[in-house]
Amino acid sequence: MTANRDTPTRAAAPNDVQQRRVAVSRSAAATLEGVNAQHIQVKDYSFFYGPTQVLFDLTMDFPERHVTALIGPSGCGKSTLLRNINRMNDLIDGISHQGDIQIDGSSIYDPYLEVISLRKRIGMVFQKSNPFPKSIYENIVYSLRVAGRNKKSELDETVETSLKAAALWDEVKDRLQESAFSLSGGQMQRLCIARAIANRPEILLMDEPCSALDPIATGKIEDLIHDLKKEYTIIIVTHNMQQAARVSDKTAFLYMGQLIEYDETEKIFMKPSEAQTEAYVSGRFG
Amino acid sequence: MEGTEGWVDISVNGTPSKPLPERFVVAPATLWFDRFMNHFIKVGGLSIIVAVSLIFFFILLQILPLFRGARVQEYGSLPVPPGDYVLMGTDEWSELPFLLDTAGSLHFVDTVEPDGPHDRGHFVRAPAFLEEVEAAVVRYNEYQARLAYGTVDGRFAIVDVKYRPTFPDRGGREVLVNLEETPLLSIGREGVALDMIAYGDSGARKLAAAVQQVDGRYELHVVSLAQRRTLLGPGELRVDQAYDLTDYLDGEPAHVVIPSDADALLIAMQDGRVRYLHYDGRVFTERQVFQPFADLANSRIASMDFLLGDVSIVMTSVSGENRMYSIYRDPDKDMRIWGHTKTFASMDHAAAFYSAGMRNKSFLIGSGRFASLRYATTKQIRWEDELPFDIRLALLGPRYDRLLFLDAEDTLHFYDLRDPHPQAGWKTYFAKIQYEGQAEASYAWQSTGGRDDFERKLSLVPLIIGTLKGTFYAMFFALPIALMAALYTSQFLKPEIKRFVKPTMEIMASLPSVVLGFLAALWLAPIVSNAVPSVILAVVGVTVSAYTFGYVWGHLPPHIRLRLKPGYEFIVFVPVMCLAAYACWTLGPVMERTFFLVTDPSTGLQVADFRLWFPTVTGLGFEQRNAFVVGFVMGFAVIPIIFTISEDALSNVPDAFRSGSLALGASRWQTAVNIVLPTASAGIFSAIMIGLGRAVGETMIVVMATGNTPVTELNPFTGMRTLSANIAVELPEAPYLGTLYRTLFLGAFVLFLMTFIVNTVAEILRQHLREKYRAVE
Repeated sequence: MTANRDTPTRAAAPNDVQQRRVAVSRSAAATLEGVNAQHIQVKDYSFFYGPTQVLFDLTMDFPERHVTALIGPSGCGKSTLLRNINRMNDLIDGISHQGDIQIDGSSIYDPYLEVISLRKRIGMVFQKSNPFPKSIYENIVYSLRVAGRNKKSELDETVETSLKAAALWDEVKDRLQESAFSLSGGQMQRLCIARAIANRPEILLMDEPCSALDPIATGKIEDLIHDLKKEYTIIIVTHNMQQAARVSDKTAFLYMGQLIEYDETEKIFMKPSEAQTEAYVSGRFG
Repeated sequence: MEGTEGWVDISVNGTPSKPLPERFVVAPATLWFDRFMNHFIKVGGLSIIVAVSLIFFFILLQILPLFRGARVQEYGSLPVPPGDYVLMGTDEWSELPFLLDTAGSLHFVDTVEPDGPHDRGHFVRAPAFLEEVEAAVVRYNEYQARLAYGTVDGRFAIVDVKYRPTFPDRGGREVLVNLEETPLLSIGREGVALDMIAYGDSGARKLAAAVQQVDGRYELHVVSLAQRRTLLGPGELRVDQAYDLTDYLDGEPAHVVIPSDADALLIAMQDGRVRYLHYDGRVFTERQVFQPFADLANSRIASMDFLLGDVSIVMTSVSGENRMYSIYRDPDKDMRIWGHTKTFASMDHAAAFYSAGMRNKSFLIGSGRFASLRYATTKQIRWEDELPFDIRLALLGPRYDRLLFLDAEDTLHFYDLRDPHPQAGWKTYFAKIQYEGQAEASYAWQSTGGRDDFERKLSLVPLIIGTLKGTFYAMFFALPIALMAALYTSQFLKPEIKRFVKPTMEIMASLPSVVLGFLAALWLAPIVSNAVPSVILAVVGVTVSAYTFGYVWGHLPPHIRLRLKPGYEFIVFVPVMCLAAYACWTLGPVMERTFFLVTDPSTGLQVADFRLWFPTVTGLGFEQRNAFVVGFVMGFAVIPIIFTISEDALSNVPDAFRSGSLALGASRWQTAVNIVLPTASAGIFSAIMIGLGRAVGETMIVVMATGNTPVTELNPFTGMRTLSANIAVELPEAPYLGTLYRTLFLGAFVLFLMTFIVNTVAEILRQHLREKYRAVE
């Protein structure tokens, strides 16, 4: 929260930048071999807020253990699509949909599927970091506690592995009982990531996770995303073209609720097939 | 600041800057208005603080006199003709006191015009019979201004000192006096002088007692007097019955007294025993023998006199111990007997003089130069002092405004007594006090009674307990309902339904409490009291039905459950709840017939009635207007407040927290309880405190629906009297600036303190909660 908490990390900034360049080149080299390319399938999916249609017949597959970026101008429906994958939009009144979203071939709208168990399977990181007004420790173990898992050893282990996976362990291991609000903005967002993976989901949805962060904190999150994709299927919504290019393996460009282009990230940014895509990625509109 | 064009002139090193373009200039009116409003708001804020402080100080000013002692100041003295005076009496205004000499003549002293032209400066009056026979003993009853004369030849007469204020044309007040005497009546042995005399007269019953010494042996004779009423007014007074009670004298008697009710005779022996003989109109029976100073080396009773009302006797031992005995109904013996009720600070010597107050339970006592004004009920010394003269006789003015002392040099000293609130004190308000007629000390509030000598009972403890009781039962109903409703409305109910639920609840808050009180007293209380089992069953039943419904609903197959969107479950639940309530209501009488049976003692039949069953089984009372009903109705006054504020607090919890929790796989309930509720806790806490404040201060509902009995029990089926209701009920009855008036202000002050403490603690806790659950900005 306060600026001076970031000071120690600032010294390491040049190194970060270097690492990030490496990350870009590695992600460009990633392939789809040996993984389930249809981990999440969106089929003819349309979505309505009351009478207003916001998604139009989307059909796309998200591959397992890859990072897929959703880009597009504000209001294009990318966040809506993201929030529909774990049915967070259920909270909103007057919504309706057509088509289907399937995970591993089963529909998320199956009436016999508890939405709670769906959400346990899908972690989510929000645009604005939203740690609970609890201690760092309790934030991480929240998903275990609500599932009724209260064994101390399991909780302790989860806290450590999650925080390590979120590259936060070294910074907070001595103050796990302090309020989560005592962390800096970047640390809080990493805490939210640690919290999202505490229950070891399969999928991680990220809704502009770095939009409120400074470049150094953003760099750390991006490195983290790169590490996390070894285990998780990640879908990230971002407004930052460079970020999409740096972290994602595939990129989908949405415009006015329509899927304009969906391809390898390198292709989208280097030689997009659609003129609209090119205009957007080169910054000519949006 | 005061630039003429309204522009703040910024100059560097004293050189004026070049004039600014007009578009950068601030209008003088804008600045002026800004400054004005700034001060205006400051003044407003300060005024509020000042106003609150002033109210506080006003209340303080009203109650401080309650805790002041008496102020006594000499304001004059008057020499009287030397004489062998034995007692002193006075009129209501202490303007025309009299001194009685050993011969039985009354020497009146005009204190208003001691050197007046007419013969009133100092004059002597004596009853006519003194020309015939010499007086042997005289006893004076201050309260009735009545002298009982015993003669040397074994007769007695009653002389009333009739003071009569007149208001002559020249203004002011003139007190006239004349003596009204009865004929001499014989008592005991004829021709033997009376050693002691006692007389009691309740109007209907008259009793006189006399002690005579016959051949060195003491005899006690009592006569009852009768006066036949004729067409021409009261008839002749004559002796009706004569009793020889000599058998009760097993030694030399020290004191004989008869209370003004003429239903008893108390004889104190020289060895310190007191015999209590009860008189039922026909015979005397000895009810009790007690020895007040049995624990002392010399247990002899040096003085023994009645306190106002004649149900307490103030006694001193020869060593100066000062104790009071009162008559009260002993629950074990089931009759009125005397018991030791108060011990006062002891004096150095036995009392040489005693004068009981005629307005309250105070008495003036002392010996030598020492005089002490004491208040019996609180055992408090209102004033005491060593006076600069030897006191021969002393008198407490009938209006409790004068002290009269006759010194050894035949000078009458007048003291001004200022003690408007003799009864007041911490003990009166907050400690257990044994009032006259009570078998044990208790907290009691009873500000008015049927008799002139009735003493107010002013303990605030029953009122504080009543306030807490009312608040407790109100919160007992309101808290769960209001908080659960707020949680449901903010977290589970669909917004379009919430849009009309919330204003409806807010309209409920605006219901005047007098309407609620009216409904509670006249409509709800009778219904509830007729159907207590149904009501209890309904409270339990509706709650259980909610849990059961939740459980069943959660286990229904999804295709049935999902026909209703989340948030619309109430459509199914409301009929279930109504059904449960109806079932409980009809089952109530069945339960009553099964469990709440009492046997009617007169017929031997079993009666199913909770109202009779509850007192029989628990030994507690059952009243129609009770805390249960008040709690329920006051709950209705409090629910909307708690609901609205906590609903706001819950709705204001950032959506990010809810989404965060739901996205982690928490259910709606887990999210509401684990995340939303703690985060909103500060606001909910405020809501509860505001509700509590409303319940503590609520007046009309309590006044109308509780019966206003100041009890000190927490039984839900009896009423109570709260501090606020007490003020509302009693203020019209309280004389301006009187003890009761100021006591009501003390009640207000206690109420103020209660809410102040609760609010302060609440605010500290609230700040703490807010800090803990503060949302990240």
